[in-house]
Amino acid sequence: MAATMKQTKVYDREELASGTDGVAQAVRLADVDVFAAYPIRPYTGVMDRLAKFIADGKFDAEYIIADGEHSQFEIGKHASSVGARAFVGSSGTGWLYAMEALATTATDRLPVVALVGNRALDDPGAFGVEHNDAMLVRDLGWLVVWVSTAQEALDTTLIAYRVAEDPTVLMPCAVAMDGGYLTHSEHIIRVPTKESVSKFLPRYNLGKRVMHPDNPVSIAPQINEDWCMEIRRQNWEAAKRAKEVIYKAYKEFNSVFGSNYTNPFFDEHMTSGAETIVIGMGTVSSAAKVAVNRLREKGEKVGFIKLRWFRPFPTEELRKALSRAKRVAVIDRDFAHGGPDDGGVLYNEVRSVLFDAKNKPKVVDFIAGLGGREISIEDVMEVVSITKKCKADERVHWVGLRERKTGGTHVRMKR
Amino acid sequence: MTQSLAKHTGSHSRKEAKDIHRVEINYRGIFQKRLGYNISHDIVYAAHSEGKTAFSNGRYSDDPQRNGIPCANFAFVSKSLGEEELEAIASAKMDVDEADLVLVLDDTLAKGLEPWGHYGIRPINQKVVEGSTILFVSRRKPEELKKLLEKKPFKYNLAVLPGDRSFAGLWYYRDDNSDIRFLGAVARIAPQVLDIETVVNYVRNKYKDEKRVEAAKEAFDSVVINEVTPDDGMVWPYEKPVLPAWQDFDEGIVVKSVKRGFKMGPRGQNRNPDFKRGTSKTQRPVVRFDTCIKCTLCWYDCPDECFDPTPDGLFDINYEYCTGCGRCAQVCPVNDCIVMVDELKFDNTKSPWEQYTKNPEQYVRVMEEKKGLTREVPSPVTGKGEQFIELKSSVPFKAKGVK
Repeated sequence: MAATMKQTKVYDREELASGTDGVAQAVRLADVDVFAAYPIRPYTGVMDRLAKFIADGKFDAEYIIADGEHSQFEIGKHASSVGARAFVGSSGTGWLYAMEALATTATDRLPVVALVGNRALDDPGAFGVEHNDAMLVRDLGWLVVWVSTAQEALDTTLIAYRVAEDPTVLMPCAVAMDGGYLTHSEHIIRVPTKESVSKFLPRYNLGKRVMHPDNPVSIAPQINEDWCMEIRRQNWEAAKRAKEVIYKAYKEFNSVFGSNYTNPFFDEHMTSGAETIVIGMGTVSSAAKVAVNRLREKGEKVGFIKLRWFRPFPTEELRKALSRAKRVAVIDRDFAHGGPDDGGVLYNEVRSVLFDAKNKPKVVDFIAGLGGREISIEDVMEVVSITKKCKADERVHWVGLRERKTGGTHVRMKR
Repeated sequence: MTQSLAKHTGSHSRKEAKDIHRVEINYRGIFQKRLGYNISHDIVYAAHSEGKTAFSNGRYSDDPQRNGIPCANFAFVSKSLGEEELEAIASAKMDVDEADLVLVLDDTLAKGLEPWGHYGIRPINQKVVEGSTILFVSRRKPEELKKLLEKKPFKYNLAVLPGDRSFAGLWYYRDDNSDIRFLGAVARIAPQVLDIETVVNYVRNKYKDEKRVEAAKEAFDSVVINEVTPDDGMVWPYEKPVLPAWQDFDEGIVVKSVKRGFKMGPRGQNRNPDFKRGTSKTQRPVVRFDTCIKCTLCWYDCPDECFDPTPDGLFDINYEYCTGCGRCAQVCPVNDCIVMVDELKFDNTKSPWEQYTKNPEQYVRVMEEKKGLTREVPSPVTGKGEQFIELKSSVPFKAKGVK
């Protein structure tokens, strides 16, 4: 038989693509049936690109422009319930406008894939990246994954469909990417062939849950107190199963596309023997890796972990990886005012992971890059230096902030 | 950790790795969006084709969907750095601090740019460094453009690629080889980014059309390069804004706004001093007050409320706020009364009505000289490009105006 097996070409071509282009390519390759859209920067790039694919005859899908994000995400949810592969997406305040639909998509266990082009929440109306938008679905039953390159955006969107639609999972998945730094930055990527994608990604099949005149079902009726807790427990089980499915999906992705995702949940960069480990999500990874390289050249024992999957959170894996270090510096591109120790969201997730560790490293938080503020190589080097010398009770630092060190606490602007 | 205020208020110049060529591509929103993207993409693809690392991005805070607003794309090229290193150094910011090559797709951008409110009008050559080059596509001589730039304490080059600005629509690019000509010009002025052989091979492989290859070569040969010295240019009035520390501004995102106010006459309306938007224009409306019938349509239709009513029933224009959209010229019912004229023909934004009232005949003569006899026929989104008609003579001056 081996002699007759046809080799499939895995990659079509190289292309200059932004993060949103990468996602649009994946949506085309996944042969998505329904694409519901409503414009908001930085997510809009996907709309532009998919419209062009359809206009050029390269993609066939229902492209529905909704009257707002709430309708947009409802359309995605409903399409998914009748067995159509659906794609939606938004950014910042638009993502929040869809919040009711976001919650129901998760509780209805419909495997919609969404792009969150991370954007600062209004107000002020800023375009720059903050992770708070995507983090608002962290407790709702969404799978949430952060990507940091255009290639990873393409790959991860395909993986997202594979994981979300797995019959043992059936949960929606949000692919998050930094607005501006990734959505609008263009790099050369490899675009896989449709044949190879179909090898990796089977057709979406909702099975007996599909809503159809021949299969009359009613989804999510009003229930009384007898049911809710058991439904939540079911969803918890699915969230736990998702982890194994993610491992399996990356393994197969590597074998079909020749990629090299060794650990699906996070990338480790020079963590071997590292006394200080920096951890962050999204595009901060390029500055962090270069900073670590430079510090290693000076003989400093430093490493970096780029966290990819935020839900499900890789609790055991991260506990193992981080508890080898003496110090952990968390870079939070988000805020959680009034939370434990006034730290960011990721900081408190990481701390709780380390609570049960035998060796507890000191964990220091760095609120950085809010609203699109840059995080430079030098900034990350300073993060490491502060982590090494700060006192035990110095838990949270703000990076790249304009701050006056002297004078009164609050001087009003003259009018 | 607190960084020094200087970092975000401009005076820093980080020592970047030497082997990064930063190309800034300045274009006009909507009309040149595709052209700007084509050029940055082509630079990356062509550099990639010869094994260099390259990527591109756009200035994220821009609004390329707005008519004529100054926007920028960037392309970064490196011979030795890897993708990750190049990105960490070059892409960490939304804007570049310095550029080794500045491309200007419309020569009227030489009058400065204001892409965003509250930051003032900055010079087009703000990012040039010693030994770098700023390239305009223009019908003007380098000496003329030099005068408009900001004085710099070092030497650099100003290059002109002879040609017209290429304008099209938001989604399409008028295929007039402008993008290819820019590649040819880049090869001439910055062979370290792309040499002409690379450009020729890239264009040949992409289009399989020798005429397009010729366009690149023609541009390569026709570029005029001129040295700019510290004596050239003007002291630019631009002051980079100093941004306050978090303790130093009001809570609740409240900013000072424009006080309501109206007086009859030039500059009579209160307008936002922090965002004038006048740098969006490539043409300004020139009014023949002597033939104006006072119908009010220009004042009524102007989307930016740039017209100020005058005591004699005419309408003055505030050119600082005019974006050059051409709406007034479109709605004006009087033949040749409001005509759009190349912005580079003007050296001030003074009230045209005041100039007219001072000496009506002289005003009309000077304006007719600037207008010439060629009239552009507006041809929005036909894709056919501009059409022109030639007048035999200008409308004669009406000494007493229209009653």
